[in-house]
Amino acid sequence: MWLSPAFPVGAFAYSHALEWAVESGAAHDAASVETWIVDLVERGSLRNDLVLFAAAYRAVEAGDAAALREVDELALALAGARERRLESAGQGAAFLVAVRAAWPAPGLDLFGEGDHAYAVAVAAAAAAHRLKLPEAAAAYALAFVANLVSAAVRLGPIGQTDGQRITAALFPRLVEAARIAAGSTLDDLGGCALRSDIAAMRHETQYSRLFRS
Amino acid sequence: MSEADSPSNRSDGIALPAYVRATGRIRARFAAHGARTRVAEVYESGGYRLRFPRAGEACEAVIVNTGGGVVGGDDVEIALEAGAGAHVVATTTAAEKIYRSDGATARVKVELDAGPGARLDWLPQETILFDGASLVRRLDVSLAADARVTLLESVVFGRGAMGESCGAGLFHDRWRVRRDGRLVFAEEMRFDGRIDSLLDRLALGGGARAAATLVHIAPDAEARLEALRGALPERACEAAASAWDGLLAARFVSPSPEALRAAIVASVVALRGAELPRLWRS
Repeated sequence: MWLSPAFPVGAFAYSHALEWAVESGAAHDAASVETWIVDLVERGSLRNDLVLFAAAYRAVEAGDAAALREVDELALALAGARERRLESAGQGAAFLVAVRAAWPAPGLDLFGEGDHAYAVAVAAAAAAHRLKLPEAAAAYALAFVANLVSAAVRLGPIGQTDGQRITAALFPRLVEAARIAAGSTLDDLGGCALRSDIAAMRHETQYSRLFRS
Repeated sequence: MSEADSPSNRSDGIALPAYVRATGRIRARFAAHGARTRVAEVYESGGYRLRFPRAGEACEAVIVNTGGGVVGGDDVEIALEAGAGAHVVATTTAAEKIYRSDGATARVKVELDAGPGARLDWLPQETILFDGASLVRRLDVSLAADARVTLLESVVFGRGAMGESCGAGLFHDRWRVRRDGRLVFAEEMRFDGRIDSLLDRLALGGGARAAATLVHIAPDAEARLEALRGALPERACEAAASAWDGLLAARFVSPSPEALRAAIVASVVALRGAELPRLWRS
């Protein structure tokens, strides 16, 4: 429910640079859109998000505010581009406001002032409400991919049916990625989606745009 | 699995396991004397030396690896400190070759510290990863709120000019940049397994064989974004820049190490408003 498009975090406004990938022609049909998203899952921001998600979950589970602050700060510092940071901190802030209003829990009070990364905020809420880590991480991963697929449909290179097919095809990989991440530590961070990072920067100067990232 | 806890990372130099082939250490501190910067203290060990070809307003510090490269199991630590108001430009004599590993990982740890009003430019030449190389590098930077730091790391995957690919290997580059104690930038670039296959993937390298990251942190960093963007290449090298939170970051990828080098030289010159150290121009 927290990760449904109806939850007021404004996820629909962010394309995670897919808008530039479409504009530049890198993602132009169902196969290339799927390839682009798979790269983010396996070697890009989603992979790191899941490692950070697991670390934040454990920090809240242990009631460790210092560990939570450390992973939150690291998640934001890893954003790597202005709009990436906005995407994470914007959704993180909106998520925490909505969750605190409707589903308050003592674990959420571990957060201090300032910006909070979206993956860290969702993980903290999951831990505070004693949801299971692998399932919560898988739900986060699925929401990330579903949002990108929805962005690709709105941007035009794929239709609704292609979108559903991509989400379905990726589903087992997302569950597996979440399961692996659940046993990870911050030493397992690492990715190499360099063209995705470049796309995130290029998007800032894209002439005509639907998305904030 | 923690790399930081590995015994070969001990800085006291004792109880190192037998597989460590070479340890290299450089520690240096620089101080401002009026408008000039001088070396205040320097410590070198192993095959690493520090040379100072020019000391004027800025002190140029050139790292020399007399071993001519890095092999698996090597353990290198470099720590440079620019005291209040000092200006240090650090570079290397040549590209650093990381040779094929027989299983052990080479570890390079760099610590940079820029005090109040200091300027520290970290501009090493390329790291060349040979086929089968294994390298974990850690860059820890600490700067005062009004200090200015420029960081550049570029890596070439394989010796393409010799027809060599970059197959199974490891390259993990971990950065932590703290300004006034707060973490403002981090990097976790990791290539493992078949590196050339990863580089060929669409959202990863798109066929690249060389990549670079350039970061500039300074009170006026964000105001330099347009100047940097204006210097980015249109072709032969894919690059972009962004600025936020008092810092500026750019990434570069290219199938051609030469095109990458040309792009980063133009970008660093635009960013600094000054030429690169002479060694970069040869």
